[in-house]
Amino acid sequence: MRTCVILLSFLLLIPALAQDEQSEVTAIKAGKILTISGSPITDGIILIKDGKIADIGTGIEIPENASVINAGQKIVMPGLVDASAAPPVRGDLNEEHKEITPTVRISTALDPQSKVLKRIVQTGTTTLYVSPGLRNVIAGLGAVVKPTGKIPKEMVIKEDAALTIVMSMDPTYGNQTPRSQPPRNFYFRRPTTRMAIIWMLRKSFFDAQKYAASKEKDDPEMQILASALDDKIPVRLNVRRAINIRTALKLADEYDFQLILDECTEGYKVAEEIAEKQVPVVLGPFYYYPGSLGQSREGREVNWNNAGILTKAGAKVALTSGAQAQSIDLLTAAAFAVRHGMPRDKALKAITATPAEILGVADKVGTLEKGKDADILILSGDPLEVTTRIEKVILNGKIVYKAE
Amino acid sequence: MKSKFYIALVTMFLAASVINASARAAPVRKKLAIKAGSIITITGADIRNGTILIEDGIIKAVGKNVEIPWDAFVIEAKDRVVMPGFVLAHTSSGLDRANENIPEVPFLSTFDSIDPVSFYFEDSLRDGVVAMLVLPGNNTLLGGTGTVVKPHGRTVEAMLIKRYTGLKISLRPAGNTSRMGHMQRFRRYMSDLKDYLEEYEQRKADAKEEKKPFDEEIDPRKQAMVDLLNIKLTAFIYCDIAADVPKALEIHETYKFNTVLVLSPDCYKAAGLIAQKKLPVILPSQLVVWETNEETNEEEMKVIPMIFHKAGVKFAFQTDTSQYGSRYLWYQAATAVRHGMKRTEALKSITLYPAQFIGVDDRLGSIQAGKEATFIFLTSDPLDAQAWVDKVMIAGEIVYEKEKDKRLKKLLEKPEEIQKPKDTD
Repeated sequence: MRTCVILLSFLLLIPALAQDEQSEVTAIKAGKILTISGSPITDGIILIKDGKIADIGTGIEIPENASVINAGQKIVMPGLVDASAAPPVRGDLNEEHKEITPTVRISTALDPQSKVLKRIVQTGTTTLYVSPGLRNVIAGLGAVVKPTGKIPKEMVIKEDAALTIVMSMDPTYGNQTPRSQPPRNFYFRRPTTRMAIIWMLRKSFFDAQKYAASKEKDDPEMQILASALDDKIPVRLNVRRAINIRTALKLADEYDFQLILDECTEGYKVAEEIAEKQVPVVLGPFYYYPGSLGQSREGREVNWNNAGILTKAGAKVALTSGAQAQSIDLLTAAAFAVRHGMPRDKALKAITATPAEILGVADKVGTLEKGKDADILILSGDPLEVTTRIEKVILNGKIVYKAE
Repeated sequence: MKSKFYIALVTMFLAASVINASARAAPVRKKLAIKAGSIITITGADIRNGTILIEDGIIKAVGKNVEIPWDAFVIEAKDRVVMPGFVLAHTSSGLDRANENIPEVPFLSTFDSIDPVSFYFEDSLRDGVVAMLVLPGNNTLLGGTGTVVKPHGRTVEAMLIKRYTGLKISLRPAGNTSRMGHMQRFRRYMSDLKDYLEEYEQRKADAKEEKKPFDEEIDPRKQAMVDLLNIKLTAFIYCDIAADVPKALEIHETYKFNTVLVLSPDCYKAAGLIAQKKLPVILPSQLVVWETNEETNEEEMKVIPMIFHKAGVKFAFQTDTSQYGSRYLWYQAATAVRHGMKRTEALKSITLYPAQFIGVDDRLGSIQAGKEATFIFLTSDPLDAQAWVDKVMIAGEIVYEKEKDKRLKKLLEKPEEIQKPKDTD
């Protein structure tokens, strides 16, 4: 017992020591600060202490011992939040032993040594949501992580951030029924149709309702589904076609869970209905035409202004890199969203504050406000110009990238 | 008397229809004057509030104080940036199939394969491209000759700018062959060709000696390769990995070709070698690559245009239609500028340089007196992500107007109200 206490106190000491080490103050002086939460600040100062924003505004006194980053006339904005990123993990993202796997957690597979992390940081993304793959109907639990830390636990800022459910056709791809031959591989499984996907979903929710009402609480999978129905874990439903979006909205009404729409390729067709229900949308990868970027899947009727139309209808929209490893960075995604018709201020929010809200981490990231994490970008010019480059990325108060 | 009246009526009608047509401003006019808010000439300095004078589709004058003749039709473009249209020096899109599955087909021509109704050309025009060299793909050793077209016209003949331009040599082994076999096949082809030409010359000399008429023509299947040796055609040599570059340079030296290198991202490692030979280069569409530094085990970002720019290599950009961003030439140039390339040089790499590489710089690539009146009218600076191509003029004729672009409208606007079903499931 005593050794335990000693060990515990020792463990507690470690972060304290670490804090001591970095408790010096950093000040950023910048010509223009885009706070996102309020109007831009001209000739402002940001004070950083213990990895958090200690103060922000004009005429702030810089402590004597502070190290100063003079950003001159450059533009400063919050680190970007990618609400659907390619996970920095090794191995496959899909658990194949069955179709309903709510207990599968992406956070257990995170690889802090992943090479992807450095690339992510250099594109200005400082917070990302990662999730298991889309081959299962109920795929598992996603997490909000930061591209920093030596062990997986240090990366995670929100565990069990959402339950990924797939209503798109992905769980059916390649599946066969063991009719004339015994099942030989993974593809001999359910579901094979959209009907079956939705049936499996309904059955799971039905079982979860029964489980919640019963006294025995011994099924971890049911426990997670029950917490989703209890609004403790939001549900991220992957949908592409308009018909599926409508079904998702209906299911959310029926089972009363907190819905987030994922991908939403044809969202522009049902923009009003989505806005009416106040359901947030995390947009998937952008396609110029169906067939481009290897899109042979559903949601083939693309509209380049999907984000703009949804925003105009009043829906809360986050732009993402679309969980594709080699895809475009968030700033470029926002620049093109504006080009296609999204209002400028909404596009900037759609890569910062809005995804932070959707992911439930708005208290920590997404805007430049006192008390939030010091995740800050210093840019050479307007964030929505292709010619603008990221000069510095500050993550938790530390410079993690500096342009040559 | 009555007939005279009718003639007068018909003449009036005709006159009225001519006036009507002028109101639409679409047809080719003899004399045009464009008054532009900003003119990017590429070869000279940018001109604020300048005028371009055009006669019969050719630029007569450009400048700040150009006198507009009384009979010129004036196009007001005060809030537009006018610049030469973009030129794409290498593409294999817009073909029904880009590669022949036989390795030695220098006698083929993309002219036979270009699909004028392909979306690719419509998109290219919308994106400001006015000329492109369509070459065979990168999977065939001697793939055939290219065709320079404008992305406008309903038939290949109508699109045609220049036939028989460039020949694709790909150093990427196709199918199951190795690089050894691939190179050997090329050398054997060239030595056979040499033998053939020697014999041909011998026959010619013999005929002359015997004072017989000599009317044997060069084998049409070999003609393109002979033209390559005679520098009537340019070799577009595709290098798939950096190790292919020295081989391409060896080919260039040995056969004294007029060479343009078409590069994959990996070839940035050979930038120094290419710079020594001063060969023009077509960069891959992917401009930024990531690599693990083997010494430090750190991930490093390589910006390809900057590596070639610093080495002093002249290059042109190409595009990839499937990619977000890099499907636009202006985006490629803007990306290079982001990483430190000079703006004027980046703009040259999407106009003048590609025009030079494909041999149309006498007509296209810059705004200068004597060149073709082929421009794009932009809503703002070409490197601005929010700039749209508002109009495209090819040889004095407006061939694209954004406000009449129905497909673009459909892609950007909300569809008509879809009946909301009472019950969805």
